[in-house]
This record gives sequence, structure tokens and C-alpha cells, in this order.
Amino acid sequence: MNKKIVRTLCLGTLVAGVVPQVQAEDLTVNRLLASQCAQCHGTNGHSVGSIEGLTDESYKDLYEDLMDMRSEDRPENIMDHQALGYTDDQVRRIAHYFGTLSGKAGEAPEFKD
Amino acid sequence: MSMNRRRFLQACGASAAVSIAPTRVKAASAPHVVVIGGGFAGATAAKYLRMWSDRTIDVTLVDPNASHTSCVLSNLVLNRRITLKELKMDYGSLSSFYGVNVVRDRANKVDGAGKRVRLKEGGWLNYDHLVIATGINMINPPSIDYKLTPHAWIAGGQTNRLASLLNKVGPDSTVIMTIPKSPYRCPPGPYERACLIADIIKRKGLEGSARLQVLDANSSIQAEKHTFENAFNNLYGNIVEYITDVEVEDVISTEGRVVTRTADYVGDVVNIIPQQRAMGFIRNAGLTGDGLWASVDPLTYASTVSGFDGVHIIGDSQATGQPKSAHMANAQAKVCVDAIIRSLAGVPNDDPERVANVTTASACYSPITYDQASWLSAVFAYNTESGQMALTHLGEADRWSTGNYRQMFGWASNLFTDSFH
Repeated sequence: MNKKIVRTLCLGTLVAGVVPQVQAEDLTVNRLLASQCAQCHGTNGHSVGSIEGLTDESYKDLYEDLMDMRSEDRPENIMDHQALGYTDDQVRRIAHYFGTLSGKAGEAPEFKD
Repeated sequence: MSMNRRRFLQACGASAAVSIAPTRVKAASAPHVVVIGGGFAGATAAKYLRMWSDRTIDVTLVDPNASHTSCVLSNLVLNRRITLKELKMDYGSLSSFYGVNVVRDRANKVDGAGKRVRLKEGGWLNYDHLVIATGINMINPPSIDYKLTPHAWIAGGQTNRLASLLNKVGPDSTVIMTIPKSPYRCPPGPYERACLIADIIKRKGLEGSARLQVLDANSSIQAEKHTFENAFNNLYGNIVEYITDVEVEDVISTEGRVVTRTADYVGDVVNIIPQQRAMGFIRNAGLTGDGLWASVDPLTYASTVSGFDGVHIIGDSQATGQPKSAHMANAQAKVCVDAIIRSLAGVPNDDPERVANVTTASACYSPITYDQASWLSAVFAYNTESGQMALTHLGEADRWSTGNYRQMFGWASNLFTDSFH
């Protein structure tokens, strides 16, 4: 792992600690949820292989992508099926975590009721 | 929000800025976590304990070997797509980058009351938390000789031996493989292996002459049913004979004879995947009760056996009923690490916000032919009513493809890296 990645990881954790999007949300809970993405997408989204990384994802885009996957009429991709395993709030927390790491948590998604 | 919790959240952010390099010198009061076993579960636990605590927890990883050989992808050694060497993970990153103290030794006793674990060479080691991740132990058929009839279910010398045996399959050869009753390591693994053996036979031009008998102790295919049924009935219909409810009683390796309750089966190449259980280290400590696997609370992976405060069991050895796989072992390690860090910070693990969000994910790719693969996706979440992990969604690929085969290596490289680097 190179120094740039290390700095990103540390900065990510730091930002996550001081800019909570939702009042009094336990960000370590989001971190735990999001860590389940790492087996395929790399530690904190730093992919080393052909599967796309998650280091450049914004809160809004990732949330909307995951919600789209959850609402496929006929889920066929592995990610459609992964996304279907999580609740809306869990998807939001995961998206918030990666959006915070990339520094793109500023713009919140439009939440579906 | 309690004061403790506020401090805990601050700690997760504030200390990050000063933790770019691992610090070797620790305050005398740094908590100490000992991890026994350096497979996917143990390595992930060691790494994430250091990473998520911003290196404020001392971690010792104990394993008798200098490296771990991945079972993931190891069926591809049988058809020579990869070599065993490519599956070796060393602990260099864990020690040099994350500052894990890697000790080459074997644990043989837990003193739950004294919170210490005894190593064969190194004597007693004190811990605040102990994470046991020692994988599986085989229940050997009484007369078996694995030199002649290998299991190859823990990647290593037996994997190469089985590859050599399969290389010699000729016209009219019978290959036999046996599948143990669930739970066993890697639910789709035996069926994946059956497909690759059938593919070896097919690629030798022996379809219609050599055959593969699959003796399953279970009543049906245990994972990716749609995929493997399709493969056995259609793709390999002339090669595979799939027989259910066959329990192995003994194996006479010199004769290639598999003795079962109903009949004897004789093969030129015999691959026995035996029944499995937690390692003797866990059973002897009393952590499995009367059972084969260690009962744990899936919110923390702490043992449910009294007298073992701070003892956690993750990966294939534990009894939560989640699939025994590397991907899940990695998943459970993270839940366990989170629980240990909270516990050391005095933050409750049964906080409703956390309880509602304890999940484990599994994804895996199964090669079906020389260059095509399928996949399985499963997500589990903690169920407050049962107190267990429950499946929230299960899916499998519609069909096997070369695209999936390529993606399999992308999946594996991130899984390996997330666990060992």
C-alpha cells in the first residue's frame, strides 16, 4: 500500500469523525457496514484488481446507484443481489461512508420515502 | 450520548492524523489482543484491529506457518490454471505496515479465568481479548491414507497430489469424490470441484468413457443449486453421476474403495472430502460444548460458554450457521474487531443503532469450466428476535460465462488484499 493511499485512509477517518451528516449518528456503525464492501472493492474502496474501486464515489451518486440496483425488475448482476440484502438506511450509511472518504459527502441524495 | 461514547467517536477521528506510520513503542497500558490462526479470518482481524484502532491496540498474531495458502481458487490448481505458489499469502504487510507482532508458534491451551493462552514454544501470553481463528479439522475415516486418496480440502501438498492423480485419468477411468454432510468449509466448493474434474475429463477427450461419481452425504446440492444442477445434467451429463444421501463409513485407500452404508464404490482416483469440525485446540478448551463448532454471539463473536470472558471465535470454527468461507471469515472478523474496539472503549455492543446494522456479506465465484465461472451472492443481517444472523438476500448467476471467470480474479485479488495486506 502506498503513502498516498495511507494518507487518504487517515484523512477519511478524520473527516468522518468531524463532519457527521446526520446528527449524532455513530459513524463507526457506517464504517462497519461499509467494510463489507471491501472484500470485492478493496480496503476502504481501494481496489487492486479489475473490480471498480469506490474511492471517488460521492454520497449522492453511490446512494442513487445502490438504490437503483435494489429496484431492478429483474436483478441479474452480482451487485443487484448484494444491494438487495441491505435496507434503505443501510444503503444510505454505506454511501455516506464512501462519500466522506472521497470528500464528496457535501451534496446529500434525495431520499425516497 | 454518553461521555464514553463521545470520547470513542472522537478517538476514531482525532487520532487518525498522527497514525500514518505504525508505532513500535507503546504505552504500558496499551490493550493487547492475541489472534490465533493466520488464515482469512485471523489475518483480517489482526489488520483491522490495528487499522480501526489507529494502532492503539497491540496485536499478536500466532500461526505455526510462515504463510497462509488460500483455499480460495485452489480448485484451479487441479486443472493447472494456476499454481499453489500463487495462492501463498505471507504476513509481511501485517507486521511491517500494520505493526502486528507475528509469532510463528502454535497455541495449545486457553486459560479463560487467567486471560492467557499458552504457546507450544513461547509459553503463556496474556490477553485482554483473544480471537481464535483456527479453521477446520478433519474427522478422518478410520482406514484412510490421504497420500493415496487425498482430501485436498486444505490447500497444500494434497492439492498438488490430487492434481497429479487427475492428470493420469485415462479411458474408462472412474473418479470418485465424496461430499460431507453440511456444515463443511465452502458450501459450493465440492460441486465446483466436480465441474472442474468433469471438465478435465472432457478436455482429455474422454467424455463417454471416463466418468466421475459424486457421492453426496446430503440430500441435495448445498449451494448454487440452479447452476450445478444445470452443469451436472446438461454440460456434464455424460460424465457426472451425482448420487445423494451417501455417507462414507470408511475408505480403503490402497483399493480405491469407498465403503458406505448402502454400497461400496471403487475408483481409480478417489477424492474424499471428510466431515469437519473445529480444531482440537477449541474443542479441548471446552468452547464447543458437546458439539463440533464453537457457539458465539454474532454481535461480537464472543464465546457463549461461561468462563471465557473476552474470547472470540471467528471463521469456519464458529457455529452461527453462516457459510464457512474465506469471504465470510473476513466479514465476521470485521464485526468482531468492531466489537472488541467498542468493548475496550467502554461502548456497548448492544446499542440499538449498531444492532440494527450488523451485517455480513458473501460473494463468491465458482469456475464451472476451464474458462467460465458462475457466482453466488448472500447477505446476512442480525435478527433481534432469534439473536442469530439471518439471510436477507440470496442470489446466483443466471448462467456461467467467461466474463464471470475474469471477474473471479478481480474478486479474489481484493479479497486476498483486504485480508492480508
